[in-house]
Amino acid sequence: MIDEFRERLLNRHQVAAAWKEQTGGKVLGTFCCCVPEEIIHAAGMLPVRILGEHEETTEVDIHFPTNLCPYCKSCFDQALKGKYDYLDGFVIPNVCNVIKSMYGFCKLLLKAPYVHFVEVPQRLSSNGVNFFAEDLVEFKNSLEDFSGKQISNEALRNSIGVYNENRALLEEVYQLRRKSPPLISGSEAQEIVISSMLMPKEEHNRLLTQLLDWVESRDNLPGDGVRIFISASVLDDTDFLQLVEECGGMVVADDMPMGSRYFYGSVDSTGDALHALADRYLNKIACPRKMLPDERLAFADNMMKDAAVRGTIIHNMRACDPHLYEYPLLRQKMESKGLPVLFFRGEETETEREQQRADIEAFIEMLED
Amino acid sequence: MLVAGIDVGVRNVSAVVLRDGDILSYCILTSGEAGATVSRRAVEKAIENTTFDFTDLRYIVATGCGRNGIPFANRQSTEVVCQARGAFHLLPSVRTVINLGAESSRAIRVGEAGRVEAFAKNDKCAAGSGLFLETMSTVLETPVELMGELSLKANGWEDVSSICAVFAESEVISHIHRGVSRDRILVGVHRAVAGRILETLGTVGIKSDVMATGGVAKNAAVVKELEDKTGFSIIVPPEPQIVGALGAALLAQERAAKS
Repeated sequence: MIDEFRERLLNRHQVAAAWKEQTGGKVLGTFCCCVPEEIIHAAGMLPVRILGEHEETTEVDIHFPTNLCPYCKSCFDQALKGKYDYLDGFVIPNVCNVIKSMYGFCKLLLKAPYVHFVEVPQRLSSNGVNFFAEDLVEFKNSLEDFSGKQISNEALRNSIGVYNENRALLEEVYQLRRKSPPLISGSEAQEIVISSMLMPKEEHNRLLTQLLDWVESRDNLPGDGVRIFISASVLDDTDFLQLVEECGGMVVADDMPMGSRYFYGSVDSTGDALHALADRYLNKIACPRKMLPDERLAFADNMMKDAAVRGTIIHNMRACDPHLYEYPLLRQKMESKGLPVLFFRGEETETEREQQRADIEAFIEMLED
Repeated sequence: MLVAGIDVGVRNVSAVVLRDGDILSYCILTSGEAGATVSRRAVEKAIENTTFDFTDLRYIVATGCGRNGIPFANRQSTEVVCQARGAFHLLPSVRTVINLGAESSRAIRVGEAGRVEAFAKNDKCAAGSGLFLETMSTVLETPVELMGELSLKANGWEDVSSICAVFAESEVISHIHRGVSRDRILVGVHRAVAGRILETLGTVGIKSDVMATGGVAKNAAVVKELEDKTGFSIIVPPEPQIVGALGAALLAQERAAKS
């Protein structure tokens, strides 16, 4: 059953291209958790998350220096290699400086037919929500212009319903790995979350419902490793979590954009739809770009509550300023709770994998001892 | 009861044999051939002048980066745990172990019963490692064993980058070209190595007593720089290169007692 999700994750380009072929609809690439995908969905288009790959970059290095975010560089590189040619456009949120610069890159270097910049306020606040909601009107208008079709309020409400259902189901999936022993592993849970970013939500909801029916009778349980909490900036596939689990850990809770932060917090389904979307996408996504450290640490606390974790692994992508500046505070917070911390400054390529394995093995042995 | 611990490192392979919990003998060999071959020889050499032979060993634990390639080991354990156990056995009041290996340096905070409380490893290039010192030894035409001693006699120093081993090497070469004395450059090199390790130490926090282990702990200048920079006195055991293997042997002892 989990293979169903894995297959779609591994064949993400083919899945999106096939959807396009079957429906005649448009596919838009997005970055980060703060693009309200419901609006794209309501326009009859398919939003897919842009991900990097572990392979060495070859095309992007003539444009950018080596000391930029390895994830974003890999995304640029994949696009330059034509891996995203099936996309009809890109939606770029104002998040970190590097993702922000994707706007010009997509427009001028890739010459994509549709590129829209979503202005995301800097801080959680009601003023910010009002501002964000106004910007979302522009976003909606631009999608209407691009598709030549109006987005009705009813369509928006329907999309919010589909996405909220997805979030609720994903939360149930996350509960499965908190059990003792877990019914699904942390890497399987992440596989399921990332696949949600890459395929039609209705189909994902259908698969999730099947999964939740099936899992109670699962016979090959993932095992009961040392329970670990992971906080990460970008882990755009499940390899790192798999590594932790190969070394005897079991990831039972997380704080990651390609994990809990993607689906945590539903959209209010009453009142003005765009305002409700602005509220969820600004106030409920625990990203250090938008939240102050105390709010972020409270989120991390909440994620690991009752998960009986014994250690924390923090994995921040090299050059990811928002996360790296927060790291010492997060480390302190975890240690003050009596949770040992293992920290990695990660790369997109797998060059450090064996070094990481050595450290994780030592960390797990230390927790077990 | 006879058990052994083997530390299969990048530069050296150490074996420690315990008899009823006490060190019976040890041996340190240079790595270079297959880990299993040299490990077997290290164990055999360690026991060759005793009344025992290899078949008397009840349990063997392998550690170090090559630990998974030792088919005759009963179990593998990580360097971090073994270093802590070994250091604690030698000095029960130890709370911080600075393991200065060929490939990397680690700081380990040790708690009750020699258990690890926290650890960190230098994650920036080779600048804090023994291999870096070997490179410098070649560039400065000074045997590794003499580097510490010469450095301690120097008058002042010349700065060397602590961020990148390649940059550091070209800096050292340009110091040589400018006619800077070798001893002053050596101090700069040792300061750079200590600076790199200091950052790792800061991550786990330093508590007394502090012990330095690994091959680089034999370099008195690195140890002195670390003492000056941290304000802590650092204990170096008589043979700092066997601490990991000793820890592995102690784990072997625990396992054998249980089985």
